[in-house]
Amino acid sequence: MYKFYLTCLSLTLLIASPVYSAEPTGLEIMQQVDARDDGDDLIQHMKQRLIDRRGNIREREMVSFRKDYGRDSKSITYFLAPSNVRDTALLTWDYDGIEKDDDQWLYLPALKKVRRISSSDRGDYFMGTDFTFEDIKQTPELEDYNWHLTGSEALDSEQVWVVEGEPKTDDLKKNLGYSKTRYYIRKDINMYIRVDYWDRKGKELKHLLSEEITQINGVWTAMRATMTNVQSNHRTEISFSEHQYNTNLSDRVFSERMLKRGYRGN
Amino acid sequence: MKQIFNWVLTHPKTVVLMLLLTTALAASQMRNLHIETDMDAMLPKHSDAYVNKQVLEERFGSTDLVIVGIINDKKDGIYNTHSLAIIQELTNWMEEQPLFRTLALNDLLSLDTIKDIRGSEAGLDVEQFMDGLPDNQEQIDHIKQRMHAFGVYEDVIVSADGSGTIVAVKPMPNSRSHYAEIYDLVKGKVAEIEARGGSERFFISGRPVIEGVFGAYMPAEMKRMQPIVMALLLLLLYLSFRTPRGVLLPIVVVLMAEIWTLGTMAALGAPIYTITTMLPILILAIGIADAVHFLSRERLLAHHRAYAHRKERMVEVMHELWKPMLMTTVTTGAGFLSMLASDLLPIQDFGMYATIGIVYALLITMLLLPAALMILPEKVKHAERKPLFSGYVEWLGGAVLKHPKRILSFFAILLVISSIGLMRLDVNASLVDQFKPGDPLRQADKLLNEHFSGTTSLDVMIDTGRENGLLEPVFLQHLIDLQEEIEKDPMVGDTGSISEFLQTMNQALHADDPAWHRVPESSDMAAQYLLLYSFSGAPDDFETFITGDYRHAHVRINMKTDETKVVTALLERMQIKTDLWFPADQGFKVEWAGTGFTVSRLSEMIIHGQVASLATSIIAIFLLCWWMFKRLLIAAIAMVPVTLAVTVNYGMMGNVGIPLDIATALTGAMALGIGVDFAIHYLHRYHEESEAGNSYEACVINTNRSVGHAILFNSFVVIGGFLVLLTAALYPQMKLGALIAATMVVCYLATCYLFPVLLGMGKKKIKV
Repeated sequence: MYKFYLTCLSLTLLIASPVYSAEPTGLEIMQQVDARDDGDDLIQHMKQRLIDRRGNIREREMVSFRKDYGRDSKSITYFLAPSNVRDTALLTWDYDGIEKDDDQWLYLPALKKVRRISSSDRGDYFMGTDFTFEDIKQTPELEDYNWHLTGSEALDSEQVWVVEGEPKTDDLKKNLGYSKTRYYIRKDINMYIRVDYWDRKGKELKHLLSEEITQINGVWTAMRATMTNVQSNHRTEISFSEHQYNTNLSDRVFSERMLKRGYRGN
Repeated sequence: MKQIFNWVLTHPKTVVLMLLLTTALAASQMRNLHIETDMDAMLPKHSDAYVNKQVLEERFGSTDLVIVGIINDKKDGIYNTHSLAIIQELTNWMEEQPLFRTLALNDLLSLDTIKDIRGSEAGLDVEQFMDGLPDNQEQIDHIKQRMHAFGVYEDVIVSADGSGTIVAVKPMPNSRSHYAEIYDLVKGKVAEIEARGGSERFFISGRPVIEGVFGAYMPAEMKRMQPIVMALLLLLLYLSFRTPRGVLLPIVVVLMAEIWTLGTMAALGAPIYTITTMLPILILAIGIADAVHFLSRERLLAHHRAYAHRKERMVEVMHELWKPMLMTTVTTGAGFLSMLASDLLPIQDFGMYATIGIVYALLITMLLLPAALMILPEKVKHAERKPLFSGYVEWLGGAVLKHPKRILSFFAILLVISSIGLMRLDVNASLVDQFKPGDPLRQADKLLNEHFSGTTSLDVMIDTGRENGLLEPVFLQHLIDLQEEIEKDPMVGDTGSISEFLQTMNQALHADDPAWHRVPESSDMAAQYLLLYSFSGAPDDFETFITGDYRHAHVRINMKTDETKVVTALLERMQIKTDLWFPADQGFKVEWAGTGFTVSRLSEMIIHGQVASLATSIIAIFLLCWWMFKRLLIAAIAMVPVTLAVTVNYGMMGNVGIPLDIATALTGAMALGIGVDFAIHYLHRYHEESEAGNSYEACVINTNRSVGHAILFNSFVVIGGFLVLLTAALYPQMKLGALIAATMVVCYLATCYLFPVLLGMGKKKIKV
């Protein structure tokens, strides 16, 4: 009886296998993620909650503008709260690839001066959050990792690809601070909803969850992102709101003058 | 009582079996023994040093780092490609070790991780000092110049003259039990680098390492000293009894007592501290006395053939001895139990388990010896040989009667010298000083203290009482004032606070103009600077200096010594300043913590506990003697040798310059408890001789003849046992061993020489 089932099972597999041979590779999936439409420009409000291991919460509110220029992009972020940093603003010109360092300018209202600040390394933390500069990119630099599709499963009742990326060299691992990453990518919209990170020692380091995914102006958008560092128990929650995609932002928005002028609301 | 004795003697096999089973049970518990090296765990839980340390770690994370010092005595110091490559390799290696926490900047500090804040006309650069390995002299010179200009890390990470640097790393939280392992791991890596050659020298230190080494030393020491003490006991027993059973039975008694005690400790979850590692030796040395008394008496009665049956003889021995044995056990126990008056857990445990141990020894003596002697075949030929020191004991009886004045003046001089020393007695505890000067760890610590800001941490936590309170310019300036005031102390190597970083950023944002090296002029500006820094920092980069709500600030102090004298003086000086700058009525709260503070509080408690336990034990033992001898005068005389011995003990410590610390503080109460036994035995016998109607001279001579031997044997065992501690690897044991041994010598001399003289004073002689 047992043997019979086994034979049946292997037969079924044999018949079924040609269907799965059309499976995309890990790299192909990541390329699709990279190619996903995220709008040509975007205005959004952000609320950051930094929660330390004792449960103390620090909150910040910002409004940010982003515009794509081919594979490069420019963004400007104004701090709205807490009041002691209100009107602090950061302008970033983000260049694709790693050949050219990003340009960053900062306006501190207490100093009333714009200062150019040195660009950060990819593994540096972003604004004291649990996200590194690498993490906040739409997709990591695909050519720096070896991508493997390791499976396909259901996560939060969504069908996802599970793709693992390992930085190609030890130097990259050191710069990024990761020895491995694992992406859970929704098959229907090519968007990751969970990412796991392992540190250089091979220990689990962080989890990223993208939640409340909805379509806004035709663009799939996560309304909330939570990054938890499981080693330090520090957590960052970012909630996004008031999205406006493709409003045809003027180039002048991303200038030093606008940095100084501050956010006037609109 | 007799019924119990009879039962023991009629069921010897059952008794032996029960004892063996109990011993097996205790031995099975011993696996659970654990070692406690955390100094803070020795403090009572309500002590501010303990509480503040918890608060410090809770608010600002642990500040205990493993430190590897790299020193290069060549002209360029560590500023050369070879040394820098080693720094990079070591840093990289540490980042990969699972035993280290390397999440934030302050978890792993080295020339390869720290960031430079630099301003220019156009902007601000926050970047690593060393971005990859420099390959030309120009780049190396640049690092050197920036290290000096930035200042925050000079003397902390790189020595001012550039001859040395450190790599400091934080062990994973709750990894205390792996500290010894961490030390071995780092030693291994350093040895590997050293083996490749080069002019760099390496030193490993830091509190986790020190505690780890302590943890490794302690069990090793216990294992090493046990056989030495046993050999000594075997030798002394052989000299006294010269029969296999006379040597082996007492040894079995004390070994059982030792196992029972350790088993009890394990079962009750008591950890082993540095000080309690001496318990086994203590129990061996003190517990043997009862067994020796028992066997001597039994042999004497057998020799005289006073009883026809072995069982009757045994009952007589037990009946005669149980009271004095109980009394000496009680007085010794009183000495040890007085240690419960101390606030410090290791001292309390030591006193309690020493008492339990000697009670066990008494119990086992009274059960095992009669039972074993009933089982073993009786041998008639065990004729009493003349004991070894009979000549001396005989001479002693006559000598003391001949030279009362000489003896009195000897003790008078001793007392005067000791009293002078007593005035000079000092309190000074130090964790590092517990290692011998030649110990690699102490050497490393010394060198690191010479080249860098210091390996002992002292911490000030200031609660501003409100959110964003620490951003206020006045507060930030007062932090700087406090740092400057603290740094006036020559033993303070460096201090650090958030104010320093804000000053540097202020300068950097004003085109690096040194005139702007001052705290931000408004609270908003400080907040914006911190936000700016966070653009390139990890979430908890500043966790060591401030809390996320900007309410609590932390000033880190690196000291070059952990001597309590220095720390206590600094604390007193700072109290005035902090009251002025951070007044409580404005909502501020200032708290101290750190290794320096812990050691300082420890020593305060040592003194306090010392006085309390000495007083308790003197009163308790005095009352016991009074109750035993029924006369106040005799009780007072009984106290003379021990009081004298304790005075001489502390006096000599003062004269020689040994300060009171956690180990030496124990000697008083211990010596009191052990030494009073001599007096009790002596006076007991003297009393009996005197009752028998003998003259003063005859009493002295007879007393010497009968108990002189036993007292001499006891002295030998105790003195010898404690002298074994001189071979210890750690100072506390050595000091304790030497002091107790010396005190016992005084105790012996006072009992056998001074007693007869005192008893002979006055026209009518003192009647006992």
